[in-house]
Amino acid sequence: MAAIRKACAGPQPLNEMEALTRSYARYSRSAGGLGSVLGGVLCLASYFTGALLPSTSAVSGALVAMPFVWLATKQWLAHSYYQRFGRVEEQETRTDRWTHRFCVAVSLAVALGITVFGLIGLGNLPAGALAGLTGYLALLWLLPLAAWRWMRSATDFIVGVFLICQAALACVGQAYPMIGVSPDASWHLTLTALMFPVVAVFMIAAGIRDHRRFQSLRQRLEELRRA
Amino acid sequence: MNREARPGDLLTIDRLVHEPARLAILTILAGAKQVEFGFLEQMSGLSKGNLSSHMSKLETAGLIAVEKRFRGKRPLTELRLTPAGRRALDNYRKQMSAVMQALPSSDRSPRGGKSK
Repeated sequence: MAAIRKACAGPQPLNEMEALTRSYARYSRSAGGLGSVLGGVLCLASYFTGALLPSTSAVSGALVAMPFVWLATKQWLAHSYYQRFGRVEEQETRTDRWTHRFCVAVSLAVALGITVFGLIGLGNLPAGALAGLTGYLALLWLLPLAAWRWMRSATDFIVGVFLICQAALACVGQAYPMIGVSPDASWHLTLTALMFPVVAVFMIAAGIRDHRRFQSLRQRLEELRRA
Repeated sequence: MNREARPGDLLTIDRLVHEPARLAILTILAGAKQVEFGFLEQMSGLSKGNLSSHMSKLETAGLIAVEKRFRGKRPLTELRLTPAGRRALDNYRKQMSAVMQALPSSDRSPRGGKSK
């Protein structure tokens, strides 16, 4: 009996294996690490640039580029940096799955609604504004696609929505308003826009925390590889 | 497991799961939706051949699903635990837990004194 106990003792390594795999798998989906830090920084940059700088072609170009830079870097980090020991996909909970579906449905409804209203008002549009509107609608339709494919957490979704919507507005020479800077803007839009930099700060903090956790996880995985 | 373990319980333990290498594979797979072969190799500490052999046994029993494809020119093998595999692992854990609780403590001698 003692031999059986001895043979079966030590569940710790098995528990650790499962826990390490679970922690590592988070970096395929819910933990952004440096990708979240970049998303937060770009969100703050987009918010302040759009509100404080005049709408020149260089500023608009920078605002349009920001969501693409973020999505590309985030994906590259997730595949090449955080999943360096091999790809491990995180298990989704039922709540995660429904939250994700809800976010995609909301972004799809927004894109559809704005497109319909945009097409109704197309008759009154000046001829030169058509190119800007096309860019606006193209970016708007990127939103549900990006939400479905790349935005897996709530903070990713909020920051991603802001970056893409700000880029879409930049195509038509506009930007989200800021308190004290845009007195003509409606107060509820100004307050709604204030949510984005606040979420960005939380996202940066979460990204730094996830990155630090990954560093200790990487150290442990390297120890196991050497053993 | 609420009921008390019987001596016969040890004999009903799933031997396919009980083998240490296969238990390690199933435990690692239980922590994720899908795992690449390379990660499993590093985590389990098994050689490629040994791992493939255990993988085949587990796949034949329907406890894991193995998907082979190419990423560019690089072959890629991904594994995941099937619902049957998850159930088997859960049952194994419950059975082992019950058996372990039923075992007499090893730090006591037959007379009841402390062992050296």
